[in-house]
Amino acid sequence: MKSRRQSGTMSGPDPTEDLLDLYENAPCGYLSLAPDSKILRANRTLLGWLDLSADDLVGKPLRDLLGTGGRIAYETHLAPLLRLQGFVYEIALDLRCDHGLVPVIANASEKRDESDTHLFTRLTLFRAEDRRKYERNLLESKIRAESETEQRDREAELREQFIAVLGHDLRNPVAALKAGTELLKDSGNLDTEDREIVTQMDSTIDRAIELINNVMDFARGRLGSGISLDLQRAPDLDRKLETVIVEAKTARPDRDIRSEIAIGRSVECDPDRLAQLLSNLVSNALHHGRHDAPVMVKAITTRDELEISVTNSGTPIPAHVLKTLFQPFDRGSKQGNHDGLGLGLFIVDQIATAHGGRMEVASDEGGTTFKLVIPSKESEQR
Amino acid sequence: MHVVQGMVKVNPHGGLRGTLELTNGLVTIAHMIETRNNVRAFGSGSPTLLFSHGFGCDQSMWEPVANQLADSFRIVLFDHVGAGRSDLSAYDKAKYANLDGYARDVVEVARSIDTPDLVFVGHSVSAMIGALAAIEAPDLFKQLIMVGPSPRYIDDGDYTGGFDQQQIEELLEFLDNNHLGWSAAMGPAIMGNPDRPELGERLTNSFCNTDPDIARDFARATFFSDNRADLSAVPVPTLVLQCSEDIIAPVEVGKYVAEKVPDSSFVQLEATGHCPNLSAPDEVAQAIRHYVRT
Repeated sequence: MKSRRQSGTMSGPDPTEDLLDLYENAPCGYLSLAPDSKILRANRTLLGWLDLSADDLVGKPLRDLLGTGGRIAYETHLAPLLRLQGFVYEIALDLRCDHGLVPVIANASEKRDESDTHLFTRLTLFRAEDRRKYERNLLESKIRAESETEQRDREAELREQFIAVLGHDLRNPVAALKAGTELLKDSGNLDTEDREIVTQMDSTIDRAIELINNVMDFARGRLGSGISLDLQRAPDLDRKLETVIVEAKTARPDRDIRSEIAIGRSVECDPDRLAQLLSNLVSNALHHGRHDAPVMVKAITTRDELEISVTNSGTPIPAHVLKTLFQPFDRGSKQGNHDGLGLGLFIVDQIATAHGGRMEVASDEGGTTFKLVIPSKESEQR
Repeated sequence: MHVVQGMVKVNPHGGLRGTLELTNGLVTIAHMIETRNNVRAFGSGSPTLLFSHGFGCDQSMWEPVANQLADSFRIVLFDHVGAGRSDLSAYDKAKYANLDGYARDVVEVARSIDTPDLVFVGHSVSAMIGALAAIEAPDLFKQLIMVGPSPRYIDDGDYTGGFDQQQIEELLEFLDNNHLGWSAAMGPAIMGNPDRPELGERLTNSFCNTDPDIARDFARATFFSDNRADLSAVPVPTLVLQCSEDIIAPVEVGKYVAEKVPDSSFVQLEATGHCPNLSAPDEVAQAIRHYVRT
């Protein structure tokens, strides 16, 4: 092994670190405090940051270097922690000096003797301008995000309340109208023309009720807890669906509605919601399908699934329309003003999803079929 | 909190007391409070000393004093909800928005201890919490000892509390910038390893842990409080222990408290700073011993 110093004239780095120099000029600040928090010593690096001389600092209490926030926190948090556990790490502090604030991250530990008497407290401080700026930005983003979420929640709540009130307020007068037309229909004093007017009014009122219900469901499905299901093992889903068909036939005696309802077993579902779904689909088919062709309704169970489909003939739905058909406020071909709000298919899709199932749609020259498929295992029957 | 079913017997003093039927056995209200506030009792003797910690720490800051007194007195320590190992799920933003919520808890803790000789020792903001509790339930407390009390931290006209609004905002900013070892994941981890607290201790501060959001609320409840009007209503003998060079609760403020509380004594400690229970436990223990014995 070569000797480290071969001659006095040879110059080269001395591998022995000068510890005093390390203390004074380390790339971090050093600060020592007496047990009463008065400054005993500070290294040259720290004095440089603060643009102070040792005389300026020694003997002063630490709090003179801290802002008020830091001062209170030192008394209420840091000093107790230091006493209890002997150290505190990673404290973000702003040191005050004549030219402003020096943001630092500090570690502190207590030096104690063998009998655990507190001799002094050592602090190591790292300048942390960028780090602290970064943390502040993060914090601001967090606070902003929280306040935005809060704002959104408040608005959503208000919207839901509004829609609930609106729904309630609209339903009442419409229900009164409905009761009135029912009474008129039953009265024997109407001539044929009157009767026709009343029948038309009655069907328009039904449409209004349906629209109100759609809006309510939309509000729930979109803004609130999702469409809620009253799941039950329904043994009489057939009858429920038949009723929908009968109602449709009554409302539109001019149209040919054919049905094949053969569920034949009990199904775990919300029968009212499935009736609502079918009613929506049939009403769509009647509206969009060719008026001289039949609307076909089919409800069957396979081993694992329940399928309800509604088919009409007419112009196929263009491919680009198919893509957004189940979105709210999508009104398909955008023509006609009888489509309502375009919520019907959105709600249909919501009901399918809530049942753990899906909507399928196929449309070509042969006709347009909307099909609900929901899982329903035969084996689950008791 | 436990989910409780069954009947609560309300005692003539009002408030909750008695036994509750739990699905898995019998549990007392006292037990529920014990869990909520992490109540710990040790030592023996009379009176019983109930120690209440201030803003920024937990019951561990009373240990150096309490350990010295356990040979002559029964000691009860607890954590305010949100601090230390209290039940964080019991934290209720509205209840703890001001000191009254904390005072109600102190009344419940005091009631659950069930002793005719109870001395409340409150540090910092807990001094006022104790005053409110004693006003609420005077029968429960024999004496109050206030260490570094302040009925109002913010200056107001002729009254000097020591701070202004802006300075308190700076403190809140400091708290936002410093989690002081808290991480949401760590609380439960330590709770889950009570036998091996060193697991958490190595990496981070394990004392005085506070959820940052709760710390912020507590800071507001503390530093925006004004209990000056309550001082004259303190119904029991009260000792004010005052530190030297305490920037949180300056000497004038301690003297103000002693002046306004009807039956009060004032003792100036040699200890400096705001936490004599940690920096000078001997002197504090001595002062407490002397006061309750005379």
